[in-house]
Amino acid sequence: MTAVEPPVGAPTLQLPEKPKPSLFMAGLWAVVIVFTVLCARRVGFSFAGIIEDLQRPNPVLDGLYNTRWGEMFSERSRRAFIETLQLAVMGTAAGVLVALPFALSTTRVGNPYPIPRVILRSISNVIRAIPDLLWAGLFVLGVGIGALPGLLALFFFSLAVMVKLTADTLDGIDMGPVEAAEAAGASHAQMLRTAVVPQILPAFSSYALYDFELNLRASAVLGLVGAGGIGNRLDFFRNRGQWDKLWGLVFMFFLVVMIVEWVSVRIRRKLV
Amino acid sequence: MIRFEQATVTYPGGVTAMREVDLEIGDGEFVVIVGLSGAGKSTLIRAINGLVPLTSGKLDVNGYDVPSLSRKGRRALRAEVGMIFQGFNLVDRTTVLNNVLMGRLHTTPTWRTLIAKYRDDDIQIAARALDRVGILDRAYVRASNLSGGQRQRVGIARALAQEPNIILADEPVASLDPPTSHVVMKYLQQICRELGITTIVNLHFLDLATQYADRIIGLRDGRLVFDGPGSDADEQTFRDIYGRSLTADDTMHKQAAL
Repeated sequence: MTAVEPPVGAPTLQLPEKPKPSLFMAGLWAVVIVFTVLCARRVGFSFAGIIEDLQRPNPVLDGLYNTRWGEMFSERSRRAFIETLQLAVMGTAAGVLVALPFALSTTRVGNPYPIPRVILRSISNVIRAIPDLLWAGLFVLGVGIGALPGLLALFFFSLAVMVKLTADTLDGIDMGPVEAAEAAGASHAQMLRTAVVPQILPAFSSYALYDFELNLRASAVLGLVGAGGIGNRLDFFRNRGQWDKLWGLVFMFFLVVMIVEWVSVRIRRKLV
Repeated sequence: MIRFEQATVTYPGGVTAMREVDLEIGDGEFVVIVGLSGAGKSTLIRAINGLVPLTSGKLDVNGYDVPSLSRKGRRALRAEVGMIFQGFNLVDRTTVLNNVLMGRLHTTPTWRTLIAKYRDDDIQIAARALDRVGILDRAYVRASNLSGGQRQRVGIARALAQEPNIILADEPVASLDPPTSHVVMKYLQQICRELGITTIVNLHFLDLATQYADRIIGLRDGRLVFDGPGSDADEQTFRDIYGRSLTADDTMHKQAAL
């Protein structure tokens, strides 16, 4: 048995020399602090200013105190919500369907040809670099105001999220079954279907649900640039200064997102 | 019929795993390949179904000239050669039956594979293969829920479902305990004798090799250093193959006793 208590009279153990704090980390901290302070001064940040602003009469905050709860269930709001949900569902479905073959084509296991692989991976990186609101703005310019630009924006946004997450999962799969399928005389497509897809399917379904959550949230702001859904109506109230109605809508949206997220998290926990 | 002539394999990294091997294995033989790890056992076995390409020399398997095969030809060859792996190489997340049906892919059209709708005949073949290794009742269990021995039996069933005339087994018992190892070796021996399938097994336990092999092939540093009936192989033979005296690690039973 090894004694946990030190024996009586044991000498104090000499630890090896403690490593000096790294100069790099110290420098990094200094840079972060200096940079933050400089930025705050440049934008004229002050706590006093914030407090002063809050004490002034403020129609937005007044609207919050007098929220029109009726706006949560009004006919027009309901239609806007349904459009938002439709946008999120369709954008997710389209993005997810295209994302699986796309992700496969950017990974070694799915695409044995290095040059097309690098090209496709670069395309996926470019798609990911563009934020959702910019996609929406671009498509509003391209195809006009309405639900279609919103749908296209969510499609590309889904593609960006799904391809990246799925490709990372594909990089970590067990290659044993792949070897077994090849040794059994399977074609490339058969190998992917039988040895690769079953391995990533639970994670992939989980990402698809997560993507749906993201799309639902994104669809709220899409309307601000005229791309349909609940955002259109939020923008409408904002332009007319009807803050009380706007807050009602915001709370409704908050509720819908929470419910969807609650359900999604539970399903995802079962999947993985 | 498998015939190697002056077959040499050098990997892209510069390691030569097989040097000028001449070897002929007739139909229906049960051959065990022994040698230290790194002696080239896996390379030799994987050369037979074209998973590892020869650098030079000739290799004829069932009339296929392996080094010159096109992609299509290689698939046709692999359809006739079943393979069993040390790590089982099953898809854990799917059922035992789906794993065994992988052995039917070579005759299944791609569209059927994509919608996972196999022919009834193929399902029957898979069921017979599972029945032969005694785990038909597990057909709809997820592969991850099986014990190691059962998983390797699924591996054997998958190879059998191909209806091959050669089975390659790369260290099939290295991840199993001694009793399970014997079960797996007995199934392999039975399959060879009853179905007349040429069976080539890599092993590193000498007692298993002498117990089951009709013929033992010894590899050392990529060269063929022994080829003879299992009964001819004694301790001196193995010392020559291993190039050192034997230890408890080399036999499964002495190691198990430790």
